Amino acid sequence: MNLRKRLLGALADLALILYFVFALFPIAWMVILSLKPANQLFSTYFSFTPTLGSYRTVLGDSEGIPFVRFFVNSLVVSVGAVLLSLLVGLPAAYASARWRFKGSENLMFTLLSFRFAPELTVIIPLFVLYQKLGLFDTYVGMIWVLQLVTLPLIVWIMRSYFADLTPELEQAALLDGYTRKQAFFKVALPLVKPGIAAVSLLAFIFAWNNFVFPLILTSNEAQTVTVGALSFLGGDRPKYNLTAAAALISVVPPLLLALTIQRYLVRGLSFGAVKS
Amino acid sequence: MIGLRGIHKTYGKTTALDGLELDVREGEFFCLLGPSGAGKTTTLKTVAGLERPDSGTVLLDGKDMAGVEPYDRGVAMCFESYALYPHRSAYDNLASPLRSPRHRLPAAEARERIGAIAELLGISGLLDRRVGQLSNGQRQRIALGRVLVRPARAFLLDEPLSHLDAKLRQQMRAELKAIGAVQHTTTLYVTHDSVEALALGDRIGVIRDGRIVQTGTREEIWYRPCDTEVARAFGRPRINLLPGVVTDDGGFRTADGKVELPLTAKAQPGTDVLVGLRPRDIVLGGAAGHELTGTVYVTEVLGRGVEVTVRLGEQQVSLVAPRGDTTGLGPDDPVRLTVRPENLLLFEADRPGRPGRLIGTR
Repeated sequence: MNLRKRLLGALADLALILYFVFALFPIAWMVILSLKPANQLFSTYFSFTPTLGSYRTVLGDSEGIPFVRFFVNSLVVSVGAVLLSLLVGLPAAYASARWRFKGSENLMFTLLSFRFAPELTVIIPLFVLYQKLGLFDTYVGMIWVLQLVTLPLIVWIMRSYFADLTPELEQAALLDGYTRKQAFFKVALPLVKPGIAAVSLLAFIFAWNNFVFPLILTSNEAQTVTVGALSFLGGDRPKYNLTAAAALISVVPPLLLALTIQRYLVRGLSFGAVKS
Repeated sequence: MIGLRGIHKTYGKTTALDGLELDVREGEFFCLLGPSGAGKTTTLKTVAGLERPDSGTVLLDGKDMAGVEPYDRGVAMCFESYALYPHRSAYDNLASPLRSPRHRLPAAEARERIGAIAELLGISGLLDRRVGQLSNGQRQRIALGRVLVRPARAFLLDEPLSHLDAKLRQQMRAELKAIGAVQHTTTLYVTHDSVEALALGDRIGVIRDGRIVQTGTREEIWYRPCDTEVARAFGRPRINLLPGVVTDDGGFRTADGKVELPLTAKAQPGTDVLVGLRPRDIVLGGAAGHELTGTVYVTEVLGRGVEVTVRLGEQQVSLVAPRGDTTGLGPDDPVRLTVRPENLLLFEADRPGRPGRLIGTR
């Protein structure tokens, strides 16, 4: 019995290790790639002289590719998109959770349907519009178009958070002498803070990782890391080591953010299940 | 003071309030009694302005409240779910109305007022705790405190004692009406507990299926219940209701002829009726009044009194007798009972979905 238990445990460990190798191998491969010097790029697998040269090149804006600017662009555009979505989406989520009016369900579904449509189906008209409106390759243009990504997410998730709050809390506030606006800010909003943290992180990651919109709607000024990292593949010889370094650098912000607000994230995701 | 005129309210296909009429007088303590789902909470929320009636008028101090926001109505409400702010301490919950733009008090004054109310409700030691650290009974008292702490045109209390343990509930029931704020303020009190309604209400309104079926003082509700259901709602053990017919000479007889009673109420001979007899109005043994004979079915000690269930032919009646009168009584012992004809209530027979109405006496 005991032996069998131990055997099973060992098997489980082995299975887990296999899974880790499977899951982490692509990342390990990227790390190795980013540490290889250019001349050993194609000649070896694991034995090479490691160098941080690729990172230096990428962050030093050499090769004529302003990677640092792309990085800053990504930050500005993603944070901007999330903030705008929160500003517009929190009141929308609250209203749709509390008040049913004619067509409210259709409106919410329409919003969600923005997420169903592949971005490629709208990208050409958008490209033409952006060219004509002067939004092409601008922060405003990118933040605006990213609302297609972040807004439905924030509205739909926050809506369920608000719906989980009993309306009697705000009703109590109304009878305590507060207006509806004060009841929203003083009672409803503080209670969904964990949800705001969780959904903001998700929206930020989706915005950060978006590829198609910056690919078509930016060229140089407002280009983001997802597209920018691929610039190293252009030219006469693809520089895989630089691409790998750029890609790894661009993983850092979402990762850091996820780690710092992990506490809220877990609470946020389990919030609805626990009755206060 | 509070007036509801012909209030209708539906949620989808269910009717919550069906032409509800209610008048609560200035300074009165009015109890609204009814089973769950009768529309009690909806009534309170309609008065508070949290629910908008489909039709009908809400009056406060004679003024039509249509379009007046809850925060401008000046009423305070205690929710059955407590509705305490979970992210704040008990103290901050109590202070919430006193910090609002409409009832603001200077901080020192507010602290004094909260201290006094907390003392009154026995929650002084809990003020620093967060809502999550309080038991249901403690939360309920905080919720009640949040209402009493502020001046209001009217208090609306939704089952404010329901989650307290029996001893505390009895104590609070006794103390509630003695609280100064409650004495001076019109109070609409919702409960499903008839004992609470009888103990507290200056007047009582009985609500059923979104309508007020009877309003009156506790004596009126007790002695002249409008129908069998109201009669059943008040008093434990429940009122005895004996089915039978009105005889040609205006008396009452059960189907098997084992129980015959004189009636003071006038009813058409041959009508199917129910005779109501309160358990405490039946005397064991001989006394002045009409006499009945039967056999003991079961006895149950309630405390000082004993509930005796007596078989009268095919019918059974319950009565409460002092303990001393029941010593030596066992099942199947023959007993004599006495009832006073003026204590009899005569109702039409119940029909499906329609409890029998009281047949008028004098």
